[in-house]
Amino acid sequence: MSEPTAVLREPTNLVSPRAVSYWRVSSGIGTLVVWVAVAVTWLLWSERPWWATALLLLAVVAAAVPTVLMPPVRYRIHRWDVTDVAVHTRSGWITREERIAPLSRVQTVDSTQGALMRFFGLRSLTVTTASAAGPITIDCLDAAVAADLVAHLTAVTGAERGDAT
Amino acid sequence: MTQPPEPPYADEPYAGPAPYDEPAPKPPVAEAEWQRMDVRYLVVGPFAAARQFVIPAGAAAIGLGSTGSPWALLALPAFVVLSLLFGMVPWLTTYFRVTDTAFEVRRGLLNKTRLTAPLDRVRSVDLEASLVSRVLGLTKVAVGTGVDDTRIELDGIAKADGEGLRRFLLTRSRAAAAPSPAPATDATGTPPAEGGPPPVPAPAVEVEPVELARIDWSWLRFAPLSLARLAVLAGALTFLSQFVNDIPVLETEAARSAYDYVAAQALSLVLVVGAVVALVAWVVVAVAAFVVQWWNLRLVRDGDNLRLTAGLITTRSTSVDEKRVRGVKLTEPLLMRPAGGAELATLATGVGEGGTTTVLPPCPRTVAVRVGEDILGRPTDEPLTVDLHAHGWLARRRLHVQEQVGVLVVAGVIALVVALVPWDLPWWIPLAFLVVFVPLGVVVCEAQYRNLGHRLTAEHLVVVGPSVVRRREVIESDGIIGWVVQQSFFQRRLGLATLVATTAAGGEKVVAVDLALPVAVGLAHAATPGVLDEFLAA
Repeated sequence: MSEPTAVLREPTNLVSPRAVSYWRVSSGIGTLVVWVAVAVTWLLWSERPWWATALLLLAVVAAAVPTVLMPPVRYRIHRWDVTDVAVHTRSGWITREERIAPLSRVQTVDSTQGALMRFFGLRSLTVTTASAAGPITIDCLDAAVAADLVAHLTAVTGAERGDAT
Repeated sequence: MTQPPEPPYADEPYAGPAPYDEPAPKPPVAEAEWQRMDVRYLVVGPFAAARQFVIPAGAAAIGLGSTGSPWALLALPAFVVLSLLFGMVPWLTTYFRVTDTAFEVRRGLLNKTRLTAPLDRVRSVDLEASLVSRVLGLTKVAVGTGVDDTRIELDGIAKADGEGLRRFLLTRSRAAAAPSPAPATDATGTPPAEGGPPPVPAPAVEVEPVELARIDWSWLRFAPLSLARLAVLAGALTFLSQFVNDIPVLETEAARSAYDYVAAQALSLVLVVGAVVALVAWVVVAVAAFVVQWWNLRLVRDGDNLRLTAGLITTRSTSVDEKRVRGVKLTEPLLMRPAGGAELATLATGVGEGGTTTVLPPCPRTVAVRVGEDILGRPTDEPLTVDLHAHGWLARRRLHVQEQVGVLVVAGVIALVVALVPWDLPWWIPLAFLVVFVPLGVVVCEAQYRNLGHRLTAEHLVVVGPSVVRRREVIESDGIIGWVVQQSFFQRRLGLATLVATTAAGGEKVVAVDLALPVAVGLAHAATPGVLDEFLAA
């Protein structure tokens, strides 16, 4: 009883290169908050035991790790493909996830842009199906690419009949 | 052949209730008049309102009574009057009608709402009658559309009208969905009657309902083996015990010394008697709950609909369009497995309550399998009995490693506590913990692994476990609307992946844990041919 096997290829398209800066800035804000908290503790708690000092140093380093490591890794991992038949995305950096949905089952095509994303000229696109477990997000596309993609997806899915369940 | 007219809402998903601020557009074919619920609702309404008021009213009465305020005397009459008034409001402000295209309800005194279910979107119609409603011959109608959370509910319809409405809506939803030559009129050729009670169309070809299952009281033997209700019972007992603590007699010296005496004389006897009493209580509660819930159970196929009726005090009748049933779930709890028992639920779209409807009580496995296959349309690929593919040595190892890492972490924490707290705790506590929980973890993981498997048959994806309760989910390949392949850091190192088949039915996903990555992708590729083609490595 051997089962069929198959291997997914890497999706073709990368997201916008500006996404690296965007991720670095948005993650950096979190890092800064932790650093400020550590600095305040450091100053107010002058007679701390040795292990508290160690924990504080650890927090300083740990808070910086995602900001330093995550953006380039994530940029390599985040890839996507849209054909006339289906959407395929890969995302994550420690836990990875590949999502595929046939366009015939797509319910809505949404795009969103936060304030910081607007500054970097980025836009995210989400394709939903009738399953709550099934939304597919392509994060941080170039805003122009996202607009084209929305138009393409809307055209393809609008031509489908049936209720996509 | 005439082309059927377009269903009016075919291209836009039903967007939920629309605000009612201008007169409705006229239905294209015929107009039925708005009508109120049955007048007998005026009796049911106050009861329902009273139920809502009873807790705040009680709190207010106790609050006022304890201050000795004369207003406390007014609490009861006020409660009755308010219940009566508020109970009548729904009857006065709720109207419904059935047009040729939609089932509509409008309600509200200040905030007016209008709910519309296009007939071609009706997926399920449930009837439910509480004890008061049954005495009065009323029933509650709940109409489910494609959107899971919005069910249109209408309390207080005469029982016969409710039945008629159910048949009409389900017949029409099918007529609108199927390309039949004359969908504009119902099967008898008459448009819905103007103004009268909801129309009761007789289908041109009367199909005798086929009975799939009926209650068999020998199934009662499985009732105490289903522990799902134990949690409810435990909660109720905890709640009651709070009152027991307040009973003054336990505080008195005499009672306490008598209790001490008994406890000292026969502690083991007390324990044994306590255990027996608990067991007997459990059996009684479980059997009673089974009888109340499943009294008079009938599961029938009526044309293209599955209909479930059951209930001793509150009767329920759930009807689902069979096309909307995308799969079934067969559950064999740990205690029921040696006794050969199982439960069966359907996975459907647009029925509300998570899309999963339990259609059989705990019953013999053979019965559950037979009914499950009936519901799936007697598939030749035998998805409920077919042997499964195992997930392999790495998946098994991963289960064990996860479990034992958890045990070690807890043991470490216990050791830390023992070492650091000032009271002299014996040093062997963490070791004793390990001695108990390491073997237990091994046993549990082996049990979970034995309930882990998957299989793609000709038309169905079958997934089981990993869990101590054996839960087999069967979903039509055609009902799968997307795939997710997840790999955590540790799964990547082992070359494993979790495959999620997303669907609109049931819990909206079916999950196969810890498959080898190529097997996971191969499974997805085989289950939905064509979708993955362009994304596969050459």
